[in-house]
Amino acid sequence: MTNDTVTGIARTAGRRGFSPARGRVPARRRPISARLLDGALTLPALAIYIVLMVVPVGYAVYYSFTTYNGIPSQSPTWVGLDNYRRIFEDPANEMHSSVMVTATIAIVGSLLVNAIALGLALLLQRKSRFNSFGRAVMFYPHVLSALIVGFLWQALLGPQGAINALMETMMGSRLPFLSDPTWALWTLIGVIVWAQFGVQLVLYIAGLQAVSVDLLEAARIDGASRFQVFRHVTWPALASTVTVTIITSVLSLLKAYDVVLGLTNGGPGGATQTWAYEILAVSFPNNKVGLASAQAVLLIIAAGILSFSIIAMRRKAESGSEAVG
Amino acid sequence: MSANMRRRIGWITIATASALALTACAPTASDEQPSTDGEVGGEIRMLVNITDNLTQDKWEALVAPFEEETGVKVKIEGPTGQSVAESFPTLLAAGTAPDVIQSVFPTTDTAPEILDLTDFDWAAETPMADTYATDGKINVVGVGMQAQSVLYYNKDLFAAAGITETPKTWDEFDAALEALAASGVKTPIAFAGDWATGVQTQQIWHPQQNVTTPHWQSAVADGDSSLSEQFEPLFEHLSDWIDAGYTTADDVATDSGTHEANFIAGNVGIYPMGSWFSTTLAGTPPEFEVGVFSPPVDDATAYPGPMGATMASPYMIWKGSKNLSSAAALVEYLVTDEDAIATAATMDDFSRPGLDVSTNEYAGLVQQLIDDAPSLAVPGNQTVGDDALPVAGFNPKFTELAQTLWQGTSAADVAANLDAWFEAERTE
Repeated sequence: MTNDTVTGIARTAGRRGFSPARGRVPARRRPISARLLDGALTLPALAIYIVLMVVPVGYAVYYSFTTYNGIPSQSPTWVGLDNYRRIFEDPANEMHSSVMVTATIAIVGSLLVNAIALGLALLLQRKSRFNSFGRAVMFYPHVLSALIVGFLWQALLGPQGAINALMETMMGSRLPFLSDPTWALWTLIGVIVWAQFGVQLVLYIAGLQAVSVDLLEAARIDGASRFQVFRHVTWPALASTVTVTIITSVLSLLKAYDVVLGLTNGGPGGATQTWAYEILAVSFPNNKVGLASAQAVLLIIAAGILSFSIIAMRRKAESGSEAVG
Repeated sequence: MSANMRRRIGWITIATASALALTACAPTASDEQPSTDGEVGGEIRMLVNITDNLTQDKWEALVAPFEEETGVKVKIEGPTGQSVAESFPTLLAAGTAPDVIQSVFPTTDTAPEILDLTDFDWAAETPMADTYATDGKINVVGVGMQAQSVLYYNKDLFAAAGITETPKTWDEFDAALEALAASGVKTPIAFAGDWATGVQTQQIWHPQQNVTTPHWQSAVADGDSSLSEQFEPLFEHLSDWIDAGYTTADDVATDSGTHEANFIAGNVGIYPMGSWFSTTLAGTPPEFEVGVFSPPVDDATAYPGPMGATMASPYMIWKGSKNLSSAAALVEYLVTDEDAIATAATMDDFSRPGLDVSTNEYAGLVQQLIDDAPSLAVPGNQTVGDDALPVAGFNPKFTELAQTLWQGTSAADVAANLDAWFEAERTE
């Protein structure tokens, strides 16, 4: 291609509104009716979202300021902040402990889920027949219903479960997996981690496949050790994946309910009652829809604050990853 | 407007309308069945408790003769949540309540939604109808009475421990537990986990509690007594047994089904449970001889104390049913038809005047306890009638707090926590 030809193309492009200096084509202004029509294409999805999400949440917020038993023929009574006051004052000493249990599960659980998922992703990232089998096996627990997972592990870890029976036969002693409050909480976290890490594993494997092979190769040629390659190339490049996996795991663990139901049913002595359990298994069955709604609203707010905090904290790491990627 | 744009607007309108229609057309009770009020027919839904004894097949067999005779189709539904108690309010809130509800009683919240059965002649004749009446109105009826305060025991283990007579007082009871433990019985007394912890610990306390404070629920509701005053002595007994190792934390982390199997296997000395356990025993008879006795009281002269008793298999009708006639006909059949009552008795043991219990030797033993009891007393979880606590969720909370005894919490602290909860709930 000669210089003349290039100049000719540039001139033609300039006439069509392409400015080589600016390097982009400004969008041609479309008629307002066409743009309104484009916006209208979102209406069906928006309608479903509003009816199924916005309206119920709006009702929940309204009910949280009332005393209401959930029966349509009986009207809610406005009580202002009474439900919230009950939660914060916690006269029966039941809700604050649920918050602590939920926070422990969310923080420790998400750290473990992500650490295990990332470690296994690093092991299983190369494509091979064994690794494909390994990925399927690792993902399998997530396919099971959380309630089934709870019952399954209860059968294994209960005082007369398979594991304790085996231990008693071999060592003459048992472990209080589900009968001691502290053990029960850590057992619950372990079971939740086992059931959850499959999804994060898939996300990490996808993230690892997006890491630049050239950069990894260059680092190795420069004499970097495996740890240094991970520390300075792989980890920064995974920043956006890490943000997503942390947020999704924290949000998922904040809602822990069905595993609790199947494994410990909140016991022993309420030691493993989570916030979601408090809402769904305590307040709702007792027809305290107003109180349950206030608890749910606080859960939504907590989830929102945590999500945005994680995003804010990860922003710096992600901007660094762009430089690497 | 171009033809293309008109087409797009058309599609958007159709899609939006479809989306709104889809999100707004959840079926309701009224959609699902035609109104046949005034005549018996059509279809009705009955929400029932499903357990090892009360299986879906057995429920269907129970209503089959009614269906055949009336042409009514009875749809049996199990709970969507953990229990009927949890599912019914949810279904009520969703506007999809079943026509007939089994196994639960009206609460302060649900009572206005339940059909008043007072005008039905057959309702007043049913067992315990007056006990469960609210302000003289009957809105729940049952097939009989279930004894709650029953202590099943292994006669072989008692004999091996040198216990010649069942204990009547708390001191004798403590001595019996000590003797069982000394003779090598691993579980002298078995308290199970989940709901059973609260139910069993109350069952063992009903006679003493009702000797000390008859109609104790009313006393608590009126402020003349408190839950801590009522239950702290029980918690002290339990704490002593836990300290002595007669019952362990492992016990209350084990479900009642496993404990029942342990008892049948001969590994448990005493098992507190309601009369319904006799059905399990009849289905799987143990190799040893089973005995039953009433829980102890302080003073032997007051033995046996009042027997804790509940209405067996209670039925309520949802006032909003579109087929009230068929629902009422079904409930009448279930609580008055002799064959239906006999079938129900094979599913879950209960007593009722005139009911033949000769086919189940264990039910016969329980019946003897009922006959010997000076009176019947309703347990703490009753939500209607004169002896009702003015709070919801007593049993689950009592269970949760009672379990903390096995975690080392003192009897006084558990009692104080029970009071704190009661006060918080009461001011709700």
